[in-house]
Amino acid sequence: MPRVNGPLIVQSDKTLLLEVDHERADDCRRAIAPFAELERAPEHIHTYRVTPLGLWNARAAGHDAEQVVDALVQYSRYPVPHALLVDIAETMDRYGRLTLSKHPAHGLVLTTTDRPVLEEVLKSKRIAPLVGARIDPDTVVVHPSERGQIKQTLLKLGWPAEDLAGYVDGEAHPIELLEDGWALRPYQKQAVENFWHGGSGVVVLPCGAGKTLVGAGSMAQAKSTTLILVTNTVSARQWKHELVKRTSLTEDEIGEYSGTKKEIRPVTIATYQVLTTKRKGVYPHLELFDSRDWGLIVYDEVHLLPAPVFKFTADLQARRRLGLTATLVREDGRESDVFSLIGPKRFDAPWKEIEAQGYIAPADCVEVRVNLTDSERLAYATAEAEEKYRFCATTATKRKVTEAIVRRFAGQQVLVIGQYIDQLDELGEHLNAPVIKGETSNAQREKLFDAFREGEISVLVVSKVANFSIDLPEATVAIQVSGTFGSRQEEAQRLGRVLRPKADGHQAHFYSVVARDTIDQDFAAHRQRFLAEQGYAYRIVDADEILAEGAA
Amino acid sequence: MKPREGRYRFPVDALGIWLSANVDRMSPEAHSAPRSLAEALRARDDSSLAALLRSRPDLVTPVPTDLTQLATRAGTRASVLRALERLDRFALQTAEALAVAPDPASYDTLLGLMTGDAGDEAVAGALPRALHALREQALVWGGDDRLRLVRTAREVLAPSPQHPSPTGLGPTVQEATSGMSPGRIQEIVTTAGLPSTHDSVSAVAALTALFTHRKKLARLLAQAPEAAREVLSRLVWGPPYGQVTADPAAHLRWLLDRGLLLPTAPGTVVLPREVALHLRAGRAHRATEPLPPAVVPAASHSPQVVDATAAGQAYTALATVEELLKEWDEGGPAVLRAGGLSVRDLKRTAVALDVSEPVAAFWVELAYAAGLIASDGEADERYAATPAYDEWLEQPPAERWVRLAQAWLAATRTPGLVGGRDAKDRTLSALGPGLDRSAAPEVRHRVLSLLAGLGAGAAPDAESVLARLRWERPLRGGRRDGEEGRRDGEEDLRSRLARWTLSEAELLGLTGRGALSAHGRALLGAPPAARSGSSAAEAPGPGSSTAGGHGAEATQADTTGAGASGHSASDASGHRAAGGAGDKLPVHRHRVPDRLVPLSGPEQAVAGAEAARLLAPLLPEPLDHVLLQADLTAVAPGPLRRPLADTLGVLADVESKGGATVYRFTPASVRRALDAGRTAADLHAFLTEHSRTPVPQPLAYLIDDVARRHGHLRVGAASAYVRCDDDALLNEILADKRAAALRLRRLAPTVLAAPTDPATLLEGLRAMGYAPAAESAEGDVLIARAHAHRTPPRAAPEPVPDGPPAPDATLLTAAIRAIRAGDLAATTPRKPVGEPLAGGELPRTSSAETLATVQAAVLTGDSLWIGYVNAEGAASQRVISPVRVEGGFVTAYDHTADEIRTYPLHRITGVAELAED
Repeated sequence: MPRVNGPLIVQSDKTLLLEVDHERADDCRRAIAPFAELERAPEHIHTYRVTPLGLWNARAAGHDAEQVVDALVQYSRYPVPHALLVDIAETMDRYGRLTLSKHPAHGLVLTTTDRPVLEEVLKSKRIAPLVGARIDPDTVVVHPSERGQIKQTLLKLGWPAEDLAGYVDGEAHPIELLEDGWALRPYQKQAVENFWHGGSGVVVLPCGAGKTLVGAGSMAQAKSTTLILVTNTVSARQWKHELVKRTSLTEDEIGEYSGTKKEIRPVTIATYQVLTTKRKGVYPHLELFDSRDWGLIVYDEVHLLPAPVFKFTADLQARRRLGLTATLVREDGRESDVFSLIGPKRFDAPWKEIEAQGYIAPADCVEVRVNLTDSERLAYATAEAEEKYRFCATTATKRKVTEAIVRRFAGQQVLVIGQYIDQLDELGEHLNAPVIKGETSNAQREKLFDAFREGEISVLVVSKVANFSIDLPEATVAIQVSGTFGSRQEEAQRLGRVLRPKADGHQAHFYSVVARDTIDQDFAAHRQRFLAEQGYAYRIVDADEILAEGAA
Repeated sequence: MKPREGRYRFPVDALGIWLSANVDRMSPEAHSAPRSLAEALRARDDSSLAALLRSRPDLVTPVPTDLTQLATRAGTRASVLRALERLDRFALQTAEALAVAPDPASYDTLLGLMTGDAGDEAVAGALPRALHALREQALVWGGDDRLRLVRTAREVLAPSPQHPSPTGLGPTVQEATSGMSPGRIQEIVTTAGLPSTHDSVSAVAALTALFTHRKKLARLLAQAPEAAREVLSRLVWGPPYGQVTADPAAHLRWLLDRGLLLPTAPGTVVLPREVALHLRAGRAHRATEPLPPAVVPAASHSPQVVDATAAGQAYTALATVEELLKEWDEGGPAVLRAGGLSVRDLKRTAVALDVSEPVAAFWVELAYAAGLIASDGEADERYAATPAYDEWLEQPPAERWVRLAQAWLAATRTPGLVGGRDAKDRTLSALGPGLDRSAAPEVRHRVLSLLAGLGAGAAPDAESVLARLRWERPLRGGRRDGEEGRRDGEEDLRSRLARWTLSEAELLGLTGRGALSAHGRALLGAPPAARSGSSAAEAPGPGSSTAGGHGAEATQADTTGAGASGHSASDASGHRAAGGAGDKLPVHRHRVPDRLVPLSGPEQAVAGAEAARLLAPLLPEPLDHVLLQADLTAVAPGPLRRPLADTLGVLADVESKGGATVYRFTPASVRRALDAGRTAADLHAFLTEHSRTPVPQPLAYLIDDVARRHGHLRVGAASAYVRCDDDALLNEILADKRAAALRLRRLAPTVLAAPTDPATLLEGLRAMGYAPAAESAEGDVLIARAHAHRTPPRAAPEPVPDGPPAPDATLLTAAIRAIRAGDLAATTPRKPVGEPLAGGELPRTSSAETLATVQAAVLTGDSLWIGYVNAEGAASQRVISPVRVEGGFVTAYDHTADEIRTYPLHRITGVAELAED
């Protein structure tokens, strides 16, 4: 009997394995991308995961269960278990049974196409305080202030509501893209389009793929006052810089709302930190949200959105919301809040694909294992548990290896990234390079970054303050000497530092220096797994090889 | 076998044809009508009797001596109940109608009760078949002019205040007026407009005549007040009983005065059956169900998809069972004291198999049913694989599956019950006792054959399957099934079994997407499916109007009759060959193959081989390669060959299962492989050989890195050591031949280890002329002074007296009484019944004799000498004076025990009268 040899294998734990080298792999990828999250993308077999959120994302994007089932059945190499198909259909069927919409007389209402579902959710103690009078058997009034809250709660109950209540236009403000000598890349255009069409939602793009431009493009679509929430001040400056450069906005139209400045302008960039500052039990800067009639709110690095911001966001459901991120994975597992409060995923492109299109640089990832000296090993063995990581991460041998690597890439732009200030200071001293750390003033930071960009300095040592959103276009080599306990998201950010497209098409290098047989190695393994899963083949070399090479 | 019985060796069918020709000629109309069931049976031909015995196998155990005895047995309550429970809904409704009809009733009367005055084509068409079924089962006898329901069946089905009939009809006028004063009856008769009579009997007859006369009664009712008609309409479909106050309202009084309502007890009235039937236009049932409800297809898939899905699931079934056994390979979970698997072990197994607990229970029970696991019977009992498992493992996959599926089909154990509670509120555990439900194989077979009746690829609507099963075997009057642990709102056992069958068949891969697969069909012995499914395939056609019912009985008989499956299945295969003409006589009928019967042993083997043949090409071919990736995973894009899978299972952890298997290499898993005796070079070679892609550098590095550290630290056991700063001295000791007995081993230049204890080592070295000093755990030199030796805490010994302690008075009295009674039993001269007994032997008499003797003893008050076997199987002799015999028990004064005791008759091996003094 002829057997259909599909590229996809459906696993019992609802993961999908896609054989990349298969002739129908591309078609299959396109067919499953709307509902399955890419979990791992190593060289031969990619792993996608089917989750309820993913299925609801697909529903929100207009796909139905039949398409999903079809895609699985069509591309699957082996028969798909019936139970899984039934489960998928049932899960998808849950989305859209409830809708939030505007009623001409009653304002915001929750309607259902399936009365028992409404009865079921109304019985929930958590829903009861959020709703008002029952207008008819299928409709119930929702307090407008609880629009976010009810969406969050319904999702937790397993009946996600479709939000069709629309958005306020906000205060109009003219914003245009200035596409002189550059243009939005096709995938960026697609992202803006998908977002605008969906109303609110999240755009997932790898670091260095130009998320800021997607933000700018969306603002040009909205043509209204915009509130941009970013992680820190440096990132805020970067946004401002980029917006002035890429759009018709001028410096005066863009305000910065941070620890130091409190400007409110048609386009205001605020940091998460200032918003979540609490004085005497209240959040004094919350007024920012109400200070203007914002038409669009942009959340940069959604995966880092602090919990209080979710709470504020729940009250902003009538405004368009754009989330930008490199990954939907949150270390705190609050993906469902992102889904219900910011919106479903509207666009997604894996790193490898964008790299293949030449927009981000390919990277060579290397893990260097250094041996602790005998005395260091003894000291490590006797160190207190909480000191262990610090001890092995800052071993003196790492310095020698780092120096060797820097020597090897002499003439190229090298970033040395680390966690511990002592270690960084010492490295800076030995490498004769400036160090950027928490205490470095913003002015000083910008100055050093500029110098690095211009090529005046070729080696820069940075602490974790540089993890997010600073733009160092010409870094071709990153050396990571210590990190925060194997955080995957940090690894993504650091790799992003070297992934910006290089003027000369140089290959980027990403080195992790790791102490052998210590917890440093365990943490590194965790981070590297993430790299490998993103499709970056990495090598492991012994420190001796690097040192020998350096000496030769 | 005696020669004159030789004719029974002929195929029944050959006889059937011959006899049916004969019996056609001698139809009951031509003879005098039978006057009893026994006579009716006597008039039946052999094949017809065979059909009766096949459908009611309890009648042949033990074989009755003559037809009178057969008829008596067929009339016993237990047997009749059993037969009634096995009727389909329409046959049962027919029997219920006969129960409320006059006895005997004519066919037309019955037809009238079933169809009502208006008539009903479908019912009229189906009635002969139902009646045939009832006749064949000896529940109804007599010709069409005198149909008689067996008396016991009538008692069971007829309405009584304690057991309301499903018909909702009340007693007849005659029954309801039986206790009424003649004066009152005359009053009623007069009020109803009839002339008064001389006696009550003729008055009741007149009243009955009025009520059964449609026109007259209609006239009478037309005069009734509106409220009275309203009362009647409320009672007409039952329950027919109503409450009235001592001083009833006018409209009730109107009804009571005319006998349209009759009092049954103070405050209670009943609507007489005749009046109710009039109001119902003659119908005994509100709704009759002459035709079995069709099994409706809920979805239709292409047969290829169904077969592929089912095959995929079949493969999963094999993999799961293998995984389960592997999990239990080195000692499975312990057997609970009461038998079975503890809840915790089941949970653990469920986690290991990555399934829910009910599903885990299913797999465990499946492996058990297939004989792949069993208790090891050791002192601390555990579950373990049987030797059969190793054989099973060697078979080709398709055959392995067939073995599992056939074990499942025949099993009476029902994993669906696991986790529930039995009648004593004990949790039912997997592999434990109390899971057997004898109806399970029959329901499974029936559900699957209903599926087979649909077209290829059609998945049935579960509810319609359940409705069909309920039709075929309704619960009589909604009666509780005797099922243990039933709670309100739960479905009856058969429906639950059917639901489990559907889900388990899917798990096992007999069905795919709810539809029966080709290999599943083959396993049942069903012919390949027709392209277009006809759900009505089982509705009997006109020419075979009686065959469907018979088939049902045959199916039931096969599954219930002990060891009868071989003979009846071969019968059935014979039946398929011929066709028969239709008539109403209980003549044996040739079946059409519209219902599947469970297969006999050889047929099963053939069906199994056919199923395996169909399944084999659909099962995935095991692969001999994997894909290695830089994130330290290996993906096997399909099932792996067993040695490869085994090695990889040691070298890496399984991360996800399904069509493919994802393995992850971790330092721990690589270490495990090294511990298992493989070297780094082996592992590199293994990966290179089986990987389609180059081995990623990080993986190679991982193996080397783990191997580098593997065995770096060594651990061993030693009981004593010798330490000396002088290597030369240790060399000298090692070289000394006398040291050989000490089995010293050099661990380091200055340390020797020995497996002997320190004291022996010290002695040994001293004997060799050295002067060793003992060392404490801290390294201090121990002062060698003998310690006072102490035992662990011990109790002082108990005194051992010469003999047992002197007994007290109570004990003595009891003992003496026992001895005297035993003496009486042993020495009393007895009058032998039947053959004389050898000394000390238990008396043996046939059970009939026992009963007669015991009953006689009750009347005469004599004492008897009995042999008795108790529940544990211990035999004893007792002297008893029977007081009464009832319900299979003898209540008697037991001289041996000096008290009144009750003995089950069947435990009494025999009786002997005591010889008179």
